[in-house]
Amino acid sequence: MKNKIKIQRAIKELTQESLANKIGVSRQTINSIEKNRYVPSTILALKISKLFGKSVNEIFELEEND
Amino acid sequence: MNKTQKDLRLLPTNFKKVAFGIMLLSALFVILYIFKIITIDKDMVKTISKSGFLISLLLLVITRNKIEDELTLKIRLKAFSASSIYGVGVVILEPFINLLFDGSFLSDMGVTELLISMFFFYFIMMFIMKKNR
Repeated sequence: MKNKIKIQRAIKELTQESLANKIGVSRQTINSIEKNRYVPSTILALKISKLFGKSVNEIFELEEND
Repeated sequence: MNKTQKDLRLLPTNFKKVAFGIMLLSALFVILYIFKIITIDKDMVKTISKSGFLISLLLLVITRNKIEDELTLKIRLKAFSASSIYGVGVVILEPFINLLFDGSFLSDMGVTELLISMFFFYFIMMFIMKKNR
């Protein structure tokens, strides 16, 4: 699953650390999600999209092999 | 913290200090025995120190990390399952390894030693998976 967290983070001028603090996870978790090593739960995906003021589909996108 | 994390019922982070305290006391107990400051039965020292060590390791395993999120939970569960597989593997393979080394290898491996090695395996797995997350 692809995601646009890094882009959205840059738009909002947020560091991985500050984003992690806002949604209550570790910086490493944000890093893993950005690098597509970890697929977040629905709750975390909703929290991230809410923070960026976008829908989940705008942040996360299914790939062909998903 | 989501529902699944709450359902795990891990102990608060402060219990890590308790765990290290018990571990230190167990080590101190052994040191006191070695330097003959306390004179009690050797088996008694072994039993008490092993139990103390085991309790402290268990506390460390079931204590929450400072930041406990869903990725940590996933890593924790993976480490748990890897440690269980390791335990079963050791029990199954031990007789064959002993046969190979004429019973001189792993000969002192009792239940306590197996559990302690399983805990260590768990910590190693946690460390590796946390590094590679």
